[in-house]
Amino acid sequence: MKRYVDINDDESSYDVYCDNRISNRKYTILNFLPKNLWEQFSRFMNQYFLLIACLQLWSLITPVNPASTWGPLIFIFAVSATKEAWDDYNRYLSDKKANEREVWIVRHGVKKLIQAQDIRVGNIVWLRENDEAPCDLVLLGTSDPQGLCYIETAALDGETDLKTRVVPSACMGIDPELLHKIKGVIECPSPDRDIRRFDANLRLLPPFLDNDVCPLTIKNTILQTCYLRNTEWACGVAVYTGNETKMGMSRGAPEPKLTAVDAMIDKLTGAIFIFQIVVVMVLGIAGNVWKDTEARKQWYVLYPHEGPWYELLVIPLRFELLCSIMIPISIKVSLDLVKSLYAKFIDWDQKMIDGETGTPAHATNTAISEDLGQVEYILTDKTGTLTENKMIFRRCCISGKFHGNESGDALKDVELLNAIESGSPDVIRFLTVMAICNTVIPVQSKTGAISYKAQSQDEDALVHAAAKLHMVLVNRNANILEIKFDGTVIHYEVLETLEFTSDRKRMSLVVKDCENGKIFLLTKGADEAIIPYAIPGQQTRTFVEAVEQYSQLGLRTLCLAWRELMADEYYEWSLAFKEASSSLVDREWRIAEVCQRIEHDFQVLGVTAIEDRLQDGVPETIETLRRAGINFWMLTGDKQNTAIQIALSCNFISPEPKGQLLLIDGKTKDEVCRSLERVLLTMRITSSEPKDVAFVVDGWALEIALTYHRKAFTDLAILSRTAICCRVTPSQKAQLVQLLKSCDYRTLAIGDGGNDVKMIQQADIGVGISGREGLQAARAADYSIGKFRFLKRLILVHGRYSYNRTAFLSQYSFYKSLLICFIQIFFSFISGISGTSLFNSVSLMAYNVFYTSIPVLVSVLDKDVGEETVMQHPQILFYCQAGRLLNPSTFAGWFGRSLFHAVVVFAISIHAYAFEKSEMEEVSMVALSGCIWLQAFVVALETNSFTILQHLAIWGNLLAFYIINLMLSAIPSSGMYTIMFRLCRQPSYWLTMLIIFGAGMGPILALKYFRYTYRPSQINKLQQAERMGGPILSLGNIEPQARSTEIAVSPLSITQPKNRNPVYEPLLSDSPNSTRKSLGTGTPFDFFQSQTTRLSSSYSRNCKDN
Amino acid sequence: MSSPTLPSSSGAPGSADSSAVRRNSKRPKYSKFTQQELPACKPILTPRWVISAFMLVSIVFIPIGVASLFASRDVVEIIDRYDIDCIPASNRTDKVQYIQSPGDKTCIRTLKVPKHMKHPIYVYYQLDNFYQNHRRYVKSRSDQQLRDNSSASDVGDCKPEDMINGSYIVPCGLIAWSLFNDTYSFSINSSQNLTVNKKGISWKSDREHKFGKDVYPKNFQSGGLIGGATLDPSIPLSEQEALIVWMRTAALPTFRKLYGKIEQDLEENDTIRVTLGNYYNTYSFNGKKKLVLSTTSWLGGKNDFLGIAYLTVGGLCFFLAMAFTIVYLVKPRQLGDPSYLSWNRNPGWH
Repeated sequence: MKRYVDINDDESSYDVYCDNRISNRKYTILNFLPKNLWEQFSRFMNQYFLLIACLQLWSLITPVNPASTWGPLIFIFAVSATKEAWDDYNRYLSDKKANEREVWIVRHGVKKLIQAQDIRVGNIVWLRENDEAPCDLVLLGTSDPQGLCYIETAALDGETDLKTRVVPSACMGIDPELLHKIKGVIECPSPDRDIRRFDANLRLLPPFLDNDVCPLTIKNTILQTCYLRNTEWACGVAVYTGNETKMGMSRGAPEPKLTAVDAMIDKLTGAIFIFQIVVVMVLGIAGNVWKDTEARKQWYVLYPHEGPWYELLVIPLRFELLCSIMIPISIKVSLDLVKSLYAKFIDWDQKMIDGETGTPAHATNTAISEDLGQVEYILTDKTGTLTENKMIFRRCCISGKFHGNESGDALKDVELLNAIESGSPDVIRFLTVMAICNTVIPVQSKTGAISYKAQSQDEDALVHAAAKLHMVLVNRNANILEIKFDGTVIHYEVLETLEFTSDRKRMSLVVKDCENGKIFLLTKGADEAIIPYAIPGQQTRTFVEAVEQYSQLGLRTLCLAWRELMADEYYEWSLAFKEASSSLVDREWRIAEVCQRIEHDFQVLGVTAIEDRLQDGVPETIETLRRAGINFWMLTGDKQNTAIQIALSCNFISPEPKGQLLLIDGKTKDEVCRSLERVLLTMRITSSEPKDVAFVVDGWALEIALTYHRKAFTDLAILSRTAICCRVTPSQKAQLVQLLKSCDYRTLAIGDGGNDVKMIQQADIGVGISGREGLQAARAADYSIGKFRFLKRLILVHGRYSYNRTAFLSQYSFYKSLLICFIQIFFSFISGISGTSLFNSVSLMAYNVFYTSIPVLVSVLDKDVGEETVMQHPQILFYCQAGRLLNPSTFAGWFGRSLFHAVVVFAISIHAYAFEKSEMEEVSMVALSGCIWLQAFVVALETNSFTILQHLAIWGNLLAFYIINLMLSAIPSSGMYTIMFRLCRQPSYWLTMLIIFGAGMGPILALKYFRYTYRPSQINKLQQAERMGGPILSLGNIEPQARSTEIAVSPLSITQPKNRNPVYEPLLSDSPNSTRKSLGTGTPFDFFQSQTTRLSSSYSRNCKDN
Repeated sequence: MSSPTLPSSSGAPGSADSSAVRRNSKRPKYSKFTQQELPACKPILTPRWVISAFMLVSIVFIPIGVASLFASRDVVEIIDRYDIDCIPASNRTDKVQYIQSPGDKTCIRTLKVPKHMKHPIYVYYQLDNFYQNHRRYVKSRSDQQLRDNSSASDVGDCKPEDMINGSYIVPCGLIAWSLFNDTYSFSINSSQNLTVNKKGISWKSDREHKFGKDVYPKNFQSGGLIGGATLDPSIPLSEQEALIVWMRTAALPTFRKLYGKIEQDLEENDTIRVTLGNYYNTYSFNGKKKLVLSTTSWLGGKNDFLGIAYLTVGGLCFFLAMAFTIVYLVKPRQLGDPSYLSWNRNPGWH
């Protein structure tokens, strides 16, 4: 399918394609009700309840008033519909804002300001700097003479760096005035969601006739939601509009996440449903048999001799209705309610407020708190997540001299300061490169203070450090750079900027010293991109050593170099460069090639080392969570070496000899395969030893492993508690999450940047750090926290409590429903299996909705053990991870309990109220109050910590039961008129309640006590320890717990020294810009050598940090 | 806004807010509830606590059980099953045929008072195997009609006893239709007439609110199929106490309903002669009919169940308390020793 866009044609395409109205709304006012109802009814539970409610309308079979089901059902539906409506209204508001934004377009040859929603396909849209593209545009012109413009695509793909876009060759150089009148046809594919592809053709019409059809690519487009940056204006023709844009097509509600607990509850519901069907069938058959044998003899029932054909169905259906309460209608409402409260507790938590910025934690997704307690794998980003992403210049090595090694801060290094004082030329050059070889823009405020706007945190750190060392970048005006050194102002003219690309891994500036006219090439970049190109003869050994040393310390290293250019050489080169820049084919490659021609024979000035500090509390957090049995994987775009160092310093992997790192590498399929098999073998051998084995893989090998050796890699993933994946792209991160999920592990992904968004959305739980890289991750995430260390509290406190509470609440809901349902079933055996309901409609409805749901709701305040205890014994999380508190066997316990209690209540009620007292309403009330008493005591017994609210809810509810029923008994027209008054006056009633309590709770208490004292779970032991007083310190060193499939923890021995290609190929397929613009650090060379010697130092350093 | 509620003892983050945080209005409010820090009492099941709880229960329950049993034993009860004996021996092969045929079905029973019975003595009839709680039966009534004269047409639930020849039956439905119609009259020591008071046997609330003073039986038992008793059309329903009692359906298939009260004491060895009219058909479903004379206690009628249940549970609790004590003494166990934690003891879960 093709679409033909007539550029600037005011009539023709108007009705063919949709307008630019963005609509994220799910509903309109008209279709809200039917559509919402339809959606709600697509859930099994709701269908079930609707069926029950409809059956109840048939008065022949209904045991109770239909209102007892319709009431709660309508209530539940109203609640969720209101929530949906509110969400949709908010979406409508934000759509409206986007739709009514004003944009400039060309209509009838004149520029006009219209609302964004009125843009039609074929309109020419003008954007100014920092405007957001309202639809997908094909560029026609920009303010740049070379037809370039810069856009930021963060909202589209999460990448924060700027990308260049070019005007198609056919439109190159058209006068801006003429752009109003341009006409042409674009042939493009029908809308799709691929944001990396746009294969189209452009043909201009007279007077811009250009005989050739001009091909268009994604490089010629500005997609919806991109921002125009650093370009005065740009204009383009709308090709896709409204919901047909690439963004619109790929939009779509994220799939609702279902927690493991929810899945378990669904499973249990299914089991109960089957049980119910069996009961109904058995009772139905028995009922029909009884009817045909016994009931025929009972003249007072007056069964007709010939019934209609459906007669056989009536009794089973009656029982179906009678048993329908087995599945508690209130469970969904209760769960939604408590889940939103869990989320609120997270929002409110004072202990998770980031002290620096005051950002509280926030739960965007309110439905998955339980999953936090069941996390098995945490996949974490490095930069900005584990580290602060606040780069600080720490050390440097200038012409062989190490600065900052003693104090840990080069800025305070006396020797360096002296060298600056004395004006050592090497040092001055080094500082000059630090200060100006970048794209940082200084902004001077009115007070004269200079602040810097940098896209890269590394550059920011360098410029700041240079300023502190008296080399201040003052101004960047067009091509003139102004720096101030010790009071003297120096001007440089920027001749060319050779931008950073991840292929070249370096950036260069060609500048002319305005004083003496000398031309210099200033370069900074990754060591492997600089040192090999040093001028022959220069000693680079110290630099290599410096790089190695720094990266062992987990510092990010950059090499600075320069070269003086002869004027001829420059001019000759600059011609080639200009040509390459304006080339139409393979521009990028050709530019790189030209750059190569000048970027050589460097005089290496030195190495900088920048520290990306670990966030506070990261090592403890990881340590604690690992003790809790959670496996950590680190996925980073950074270098292997840096990643490993950071991993070491934050307890991610243990140092030698406890730990062992296994490397998976290789450039080809076979190499990767071999290395993978070797690692797997080692893993399997060591799995019995108490060793902490981790594997390290880089993006390239990962790509191969995932594509060709998926099975082996999956096996590895299951075996390995720890992994470090370096140089991975956002989509690979997501793939890894997917892989772990496919092995049925609960995954949590945590990250801070746009490149983590995919992984965050993919994981069972996405946690975003509202950090320096903006809020994209936090917005896409289910939870956002200010600092990594809050993860501990999020999981161990909030996740764990949520899981425990939901486990209790859901099972309890089934318990109470089963209890009353069993009583009904028992009663049917003494009522001729005819399906009589012992309880009246009001009681049945109120039982589920009021009497029993309020006490259990306060279980959201229950804490089995204190927060501190959990933090001290994170191993206890195992109970949540393994789902020990909610599974078929615990559920069987509750099932048995409800059966037992039903027997107790029923047997005692009918025997104590026999003969002359066996009045229907009274017996029903006795049984009901028996249930209420028991459930109050069951909640009390299962509550671990009583706050005032719990007492209020449990005992207040018991009291409220009597008050409500006394009130109901005061209404003459109600069926139970005076019943409660009568009962409350009878001593036998109270004696019956007491015996129900004694007989019902005694065995339960005895059993619980026995288990608690003689077969205690770890939780019980902690409770006992906690409450017997005194601090509970763990004895000795704590052996982290491992699941049987996992290996126990411990650090880093080296299995394979390997020869690796020093030239590290640029990684990864599609977008060269996709990894974060981190200028490389560390060496790619054998990082395993001499590791051990350095470990101790890095370890102690790290301890200081905390 | 949030700071005043922030006590200085609120812990680590509290100290930070003085400096940087003030600007953030999103900052959540501090309260013990939002921080889940409400003071809580955390009881645990210590042996002492549990054993004393069980002891306490047994100490409370056993006396209650004894008292209940005494109360139940104090009640004097005379039960006389008459459904078979009241059928002439010649008719016993086909009891249903006998009971359905017209004719005098008077039957004399003689009861002996085993013990002194204080007044009031309640006269019950007891039916066994009679399902007043059958769904078809229990629904077949119209409370509206019973209460209100103008609602005579409200017979929707009463099928098949709702109408006869196009006019409504009052009271309609199977329950009323099957009203018990055996009659008893008593004489004591073969001469003295023993009056049975049939007033005040129903619930006052029923007489006043459930059965209308101006509702009179209409077309009752006038169809071809006669169920049970007939009603005097000139007496309003609120005074037809036998009907009111009958309409309080029983939850169990064995039940007693009050027939009347004897307002005088009966001495030991008194003989009571009961002249009963045996009309009610329980024979087709093998139901039993019994005549019961019973005194009452503070717990109600003669029913040993509560007493036995209390003694059983109390005894069981005593036994448990003893057992737990012994186990506790024989195998004492230190609660809350962290060394019991499995991860402190050995790797791997037991």
